[in-house]
Amino acid sequence: MNLHTLVDSLLSDTLETSLPLFRPELALCGTIVLMLLVRVFRCDRLLPPFLLAFAGSVVALWLALPAEGLASWAAISPQEIFTGMLVHDTLSAYVRIFLLAFAVLFVVLTQLTGIADRENGQDFYTLVLGATLGMCIMASANHLLTIFLGIEMASVPSYVLAGIVKGRRRSSEAALKYAIYGAGTAGVMLYGISLLAGVVGSAHLPTIAHELAALDISSMLAPGGDSSTVMVLALGGLMLGVGLAFKLSAVPFHFWCPDVFEGAPAEVNAFLSVASKAAALTLLVRIGFGLGFVHETPHATLATNQPPAAIAQVSTTAQPPTTFAALKAEGIVNESTADQPLSPVRNFFVVLVALMAIVSCTFGNLAAYGQTNIKRMFAYSTIAHAGFMMMAVAAAVALLGRDPSQSQAAIAALLIYITIYLFMNLGAFAVVAFLRNEMQSEEIEDYAGLIRSCPMTAVMMTAILVSLIGLPPLAGFWPKLRVLQSLYEAGGPLMITVLVIAGLNTAISLVYYLRVVKVICIDPEPDTRGPISLGFLPAAYILVVSLPVIIFGILPDKVAQWAEQATMHLF
Amino acid sequence: MIHLPLAHLLSEPVGVSHYVMVGAVLFTCGVLCMATKRNALGVLMGIELVLNGANLNFIAFGSHVLRNDANSLGLDGQLISMFVIVLAAAEAAVALAIALNYYNNHDSIDVDRADELLG
Amino acid sequence: MESIYWPTFFFWLFSLISCSFAVGVLLARNIVRMAFYLVLALAATAGLFFLAGADFVGAMQLMIYVGGTLVLLIFGVMLTSQERFIEMKTSSGEWVVALLLGGMLLGILLQAAMAVPAWQGMDRAAAEATKVEKTATPLGMGLLGVRVDQLDEQDESRRKGMSGYLFHFEIVSVHLLVVLVGAAYLARAKRKRGRDELAGTGSNAT
Repeated sequence: MNLHTLVDSLLSDTLETSLPLFRPELALCGTIVLMLLVRVFRCDRLLPPFLLAFAGSVVALWLALPAEGLASWAAISPQEIFTGMLVHDTLSAYVRIFLLAFAVLFVVLTQLTGIADRENGQDFYTLVLGATLGMCIMASANHLLTIFLGIEMASVPSYVLAGIVKGRRRSSEAALKYAIYGAGTAGVMLYGISLLAGVVGSAHLPTIAHELAALDISSMLAPGGDSSTVMVLALGGLMLGVGLAFKLSAVPFHFWCPDVFEGAPAEVNAFLSVASKAAALTLLVRIGFGLGFVHETPHATLATNQPPAAIAQVSTTAQPPTTFAALKAEGIVNESTADQPLSPVRNFFVVLVALMAIVSCTFGNLAAYGQTNIKRMFAYSTIAHAGFMMMAVAAAVALLGRDPSQSQAAIAALLIYITIYLFMNLGAFAVVAFLRNEMQSEEIEDYAGLIRSCPMTAVMMTAILVSLIGLPPLAGFWPKLRVLQSLYEAGGPLMITVLVIAGLNTAISLVYYLRVVKVICIDPEPDTRGPISLGFLPAAYILVVSLPVIIFGILPDKVAQWAEQATMHLF
Repeated sequence: MIHLPLAHLLSEPVGVSHYVMVGAVLFTCGVLCMATKRNALGVLMGIELVLNGANLNFIAFGSHVLRNDANSLGLDGQLISMFVIVLAAAEAAVALAIALNYYNNHDSIDVDRADELLG
Repeated sequence: MESIYWPTFFFWLFSLISCSFAVGVLLARNIVRMAFYLVLALAATAGLFFLAGADFVGAMQLMIYVGGTLVLLIFGVMLTSQERFIEMKTSSGEWVVALLLGGMLLGILLQAAMAVPAWQGMDRAAAEATKVEKTATPLGMGLLGVRVDQLDEQDESRRKGMSGYLFHFEIVSVHLLVVLVGAAYLARAKRKRGRDELAGTGSNAT
C-alpha cells in the first residue's frame, strides 16, 4: 500500500461511487448557491426565490427517487460513501426521499401563507434548504463527526428560522432560547463524543462497534473486571444522548419546545416537528444499529492481525447477513443474547431510550391538556409523538440481537409513523397558519364554531386531530398499532411496561385532541367574528396535504409496502 | 537535596488523563456559566468553554506525544478538533446575531427576563 | 533531585492559566472582564495544543478562536453594553445549587479522566524517545481525503475506520454560507416597502 493506491482509491470512491449517490444533496447545495448568485446579480425579479427553491427541491426529490418506483429498493445495498463518512442504504434513501418531499410541500406552504416575501425569501429558503441538507446528512451519518456536523447543520439554520419574523418580541425570544439550549446541548454532546472516541480510539461507527465488541464489556462488568472504562463509555453515551434528546425534544430536554413553538411562526413549527424529528429519529436508529451491531467486514485478512481471543469473540458475534438469512429461513431464532459482547451496549441504549420515551410520551400528553394556545398544544403533542416513535427505536434495538427480521419490522413501523406524521402535522400547522392570516389569532377558543364559517377546513382539521389520537378509521392508527406490535415482540418486562404506558397514553391524548374537536365542531360561533374565507389555493393545499390522512387510513398497504421494502435490506 | 512532591510531579511526562482533567475543568466551568449567567453573551462564552474542553480531549486522545499505543485516535483527533473550531465559529456568529436581535426587540440582554413564553 | 522535564512544567503552567481563567469567567460579574478572561483561557489552551504535538491546530485555535470568535463576542458585548447589563448578579441561592451540581459533575469527570488505564502517561525514557512529527502535511492531506497515516497502520479493520475528511471539508463551506446568510438576515434592518428593492443586497453577499 502506498500513496498512489490511496489517491487512486480516493478518486474512484469519490467520483464513481459517492458523488452519484449524493446527487440529491448536491442539488440542494447548488440551489443554495444559485439563490445567492441570483440575489447578487440582481436577477431576483426574473427568478423569484420561491421558484428557485421549489425547482431545486423538486429536482433533488426527483434525483432521490429510485429509478424503478418506490417499491424497488432491492437494488440498494448498504455501502459506505465518502471513505466511510456516510452510509448509503435503504433507510437513508427512504428518509432522504421523505425529507425532500417534505421540503417541496413546505416551500409551497410558505409561498401560500406569504411568510417569505420577496425581500426575505432568499434568506428564508436558503435557511430551509440548508437545514434540510443537514437533516439528510444526519440520516446517513456513519461517523461521529458526521453526526455532530449533521446536527449543527440542521440546528443552526433552525435557530434563525425560529426568529424569522424579526420585529416580534416573542419570535426573537423563541430564537434566543432555541439557540442557547441548542448550542449548550451540542457542546455537551461533543464532550460525550470525545470521551467515546477516546476510549475506543476511532470515530467511525462500524469500527467503534468492532472495538467495543473486542473490549468485551460483559467481562469488564463482572466482579474483578475493569468497570471504570465502562463507566467512561457510559458517561460518553449519556452525554451523546443529551444532544439527541434535545433534537428529539425528549423529556428532560424539552423545555425549548413549547416556547419555540409558541414564538415561531406555524410554518416553521411544521418544519421543526416533522423534518427535524424524522432526521433525529433516523440518527437515533443509526447510532443504535451502528454501535449495537457488528457488520461483517468483507476483508478476510481482518482476523489474522488480531490476537486469538479477539478473533473468537468477533467471530461469535459478528453474525454475517447470510447467517441471519439462514436463521430466518429455517425459522430458528437465536434466543441466547448473553454471549454476545455487544449486548451490554444494546441494553444500555434500549433502557435509556425506553425510559426517555415513556417519560416524554406521558409528560407531553399530560401537559398538552391545559394549553390554550394551539401551537403550544401541538408542541406538547409533538413531544408525546416523538416519545411514541422512540419506543419503536427501542424495540428495534432490543430485537436486534435476537430476531433481525422483527427488528426490521420495528424500523418499518417507525418509517410508516414518520410518513403518516408528515401529513398530519403539516396539515395541522398549515391550517393554523392560514387561519392566523385570516383571524390573527392562534388561541384554541377563537376556533369556536369553525365548522359553520369554514366547513372544509374544520372537517380536515378534525380528521387530523382524530388521526393524531390514533383512532382506527384514520391513518394515525396503523403506525401506532405496528409500534405496539413490535414492543410486544420485543418482550421482556421493560418493553411490556412501555407497551402498557403507550396504550394508556393513547387514552390520555383522547381528551385534549377531542377538546379541540369539540371547540371546532360543537361550540357556537362568536358574534364578533366576520366570515372566514381562505381562498382557493390555501383550501386546496389543506385538502391535498390532509387527504392522505383519510386515504392511508382506509388503504394503509401502500405506505406499509414502501416502508417494509425499505427496511428489508438493512443488514 | 529536598525531595519535594512537586519535583516528582515535574520530572515525569504527563499523560492523556492530565489533559482530560484540564478538559473536564473547562467543561464544568462552561456548563456552570451556561447555568448561572444572566447575560446571554455570558452564556455564549460558557458554550465556547464547553466546546474548548471537548476539543482539548480530542487533541489529547489523538496525540502521539502523550500516549503511544495502537489504540489512539491518531490524526482523527486533530482533524475533528479543527472542524469543531469552524463549527463553533459559525454557531457563535448565529447566536450573536440572535442575541443582538433579541436586544433590539427587548432592549435587554438578560436571559432571566426572557419569560414571556412560559415554558 | 531529578531534573525537570520541561514539557511537563509548561503543561502545568498552561493548564493552571487555562483553568484559573476559566474559573475567572465563571466567577466574574462584569461582562467585559469575562470576555478578557476567556481570551486568556483559550490562548492558554492553544499552548496545551502545542505541547500535545498538535502545532497546526494550536495555530488555528489562536487565529480562529482567539482572533476571530472572541472578537465577535467582544463586538457583541460592546453593542449591547449599557450600564445595567455590564454587571448582572446571579442570586446566591442559584450559586449554591450550581456549585453543588458543578462539583459533582467535575468529580465524575475527573474520575472518568483517571479511569482508563490506557490514558496514563508514558515513562520518561519513552516520552523522550518519541519523535515529534510535523502535523500540517498529514492534516492537509486528511482534509483532501487522503489519510497518509493509513500507510503505517497494520490493523486492517482500524485502517478501514480512518476516513478522509474531504466530505466535511466541502460540506462545511455550504454550512458556513447558509449560516452567514442567516446571520446577515438577522443583523440587517428590515427594509421599508416601496423603497428600491435592490438597495442593501450587499449585506448578505459577503
